[in-house]
Amino acid sequence: MLEAINLHKRYHQGEIDVVAVDHFTYRFPAGLTAIVGPSGSGKTTLLNLLAGFDVPSEGEVRLGTTLLSTLSEDGRSEVRLRHMGFVFQQWNLIPTLTALENVAFPMMLAGLSLKERNARAAALLEAVGLGQRGKHLPNKLSGGEQQRVAIARALALNPPILFADEPTGNLDSASGARVVELLLHQAREGRTVILVTHDLELARKAERILHLKDGRLVRVEAPAPLVGALPSS
Amino acid sequence: MRSILTLLGIAVSTASMVLFMSFGEGLRKALGAELSAVGPAVLVLPEGVEAFSPGYPELRPETLEALKKAAPDLGINQVIPYVVLTRGGFDPQNSFVFQGIPDGLSPKALYPNLNLATGNLTPSPRGAVVGSRLAERNQLSLGKVLRLSPGVSLRVEGILQKSGGLSDNIIFVPASVVQEALGTRNYTAAAVGVSAGFTADQVAEAIRTRVAGVSAQTTGDVLRFAERAVRISDLVRFGISLVALIVGGLLVANTVMMSVYERIREFGLMRALGARRGFIFGLVLLEALLLGVVGGLLGLVLGQAASGLVNWYTGREVGLALSAVTFRLASFALLVAVVLGLLAGFLPARTASRLKVVEALGRL
Repeated sequence: MLEAINLHKRYHQGEIDVVAVDHFTYRFPAGLTAIVGPSGSGKTTLLNLLAGFDVPSEGEVRLGTTLLSTLSEDGRSEVRLRHMGFVFQQWNLIPTLTALENVAFPMMLAGLSLKERNARAAALLEAVGLGQRGKHLPNKLSGGEQQRVAIARALALNPPILFADEPTGNLDSASGARVVELLLHQAREGRTVILVTHDLELARKAERILHLKDGRLVRVEAPAPLVGALPSS
Repeated sequence: MRSILTLLGIAVSTASMVLFMSFGEGLRKALGAELSAVGPAVLVLPEGVEAFSPGYPELRPETLEALKKAAPDLGINQVIPYVVLTRGGFDPQNSFVFQGIPDGLSPKALYPNLNLATGNLTPSPRGAVVGSRLAERNQLSLGKVLRLSPGVSLRVEGILQKSGGLSDNIIFVPASVVQEALGTRNYTAAAVGVSAGFTADQVAEAIRTRVAGVSAQTTGDVLRFAERAVRISDLVRFGISLVALIVGGLLVANTVMMSVYERIREFGLMRALGARRGFIFGLVLLEALLLGVVGGLLGLVLGQAASGLVNWYTGREVGLALSAVTFRLASFALLVAVVLGLLAGFLPARTASRLKVVEALGRL
């Protein structure tokens, strides 16, 4: 279970302190949770903190019994490798690796054998409908195909948590719908899927919607039947 | 394209180092071969004179007589004095080395491996036996006349077979002729044979302590002296080639650093996916190392080719291979290339491994 406890992040911009995330507390249950808010509301900073890309000024991110802020950079990398998968809006794939190698990359970091990771990467590409595109470099794939490769890669080590940051932002509606369907499928299978988006229509497909404004969690909406717990504050 | 140009840069700097250093290796090999071709094991020189800079003949006949007289006690079985005269300059085409050997003796006494191609092996009092390369270069044939000085002329009486050494470029004449040309009775040095039951070191030591006014050097002493001289010149040549190597290293560092800056997002993505700092550090260092090693290997091939070219030229001119790319030199060059790659890659690797994920991915 991923839990944010009183998360607070402020930046110094010259003489001014900017609060990006303001005492955010929430336990993320399994299923799809969308984080929405206008530009500058702190969505990306919140995801950075939850994923351990950055450390909070105050508060904690807890994964099971592990407090991320107590870990070194390499410790947080290890947590991401074993427990988290990522789909970003852009810069998703390593441009010099083929689709298959991109999917196999986390498995290589985890020390799986070449045979094992190639077999699993091929199966994951097949599952996202790209079984025939494994040998293609990212620049030979469409935007939608690249996002599906990223989803396959995010599932490489079968992590319990999946982060998706504006995953349909650069896609046409058909490609976007396919990506969303894949994410929903992962949520239905019991993974914690955290979707950051400014697209309210997309957010409506989630079981919970967290509304952020000026870094604060201002509202929790449940358009679909709730699976997890309500926010604790 | 940038990587290819960098590879070429390293290849050229490594090749220049290989070529520079190959002269030392070539000299070692040539010296070893030459000295092993000399029959007598001990060289007696006037005191204060080194084997490689004999200069004007200073070994007096009286000293030689004293040496011959004491020979049985010193473990000496033969004393072959000789006198050397050079004519010409730096151009090998116009340089002549006359080696005056005792009258009635053949050059085989000094160089046992010499064989006659045509004529006589032992020169008469006004005769000369000519090395093969010199004869070929100057179109010398039997009966041709050589002028040693305005008053001294010699007739070619014998031409030697090719031996592949310095003797191919020597004109062997009676010592009295060279002494006449130089206006002296002295000798340059004397080659001394060692009696059975004695070692060259024992004989050399005995000569040094028992015969005044001379120094005695064994083949080993000469080689050690040469090794010291070659090692000093090795250092000088390595110092010069170091400049090229540093330029090569900076090329690698520049290329890898540029590559790191261009791939910041890629490294950020790798870190986001769970790569540790050490993984990124190793990845960048490996790339620099690969540039160094592949460039080094290319440089080795280029250096070997350049060395072959040098040997072709010196072989044609003086009959000697003055450059040698030995296994030791090749290993050293590769080691230098590896160290170069590692040093050049260290800073870019450190920079890449310390990137912050949020900054690298532009997620601020």
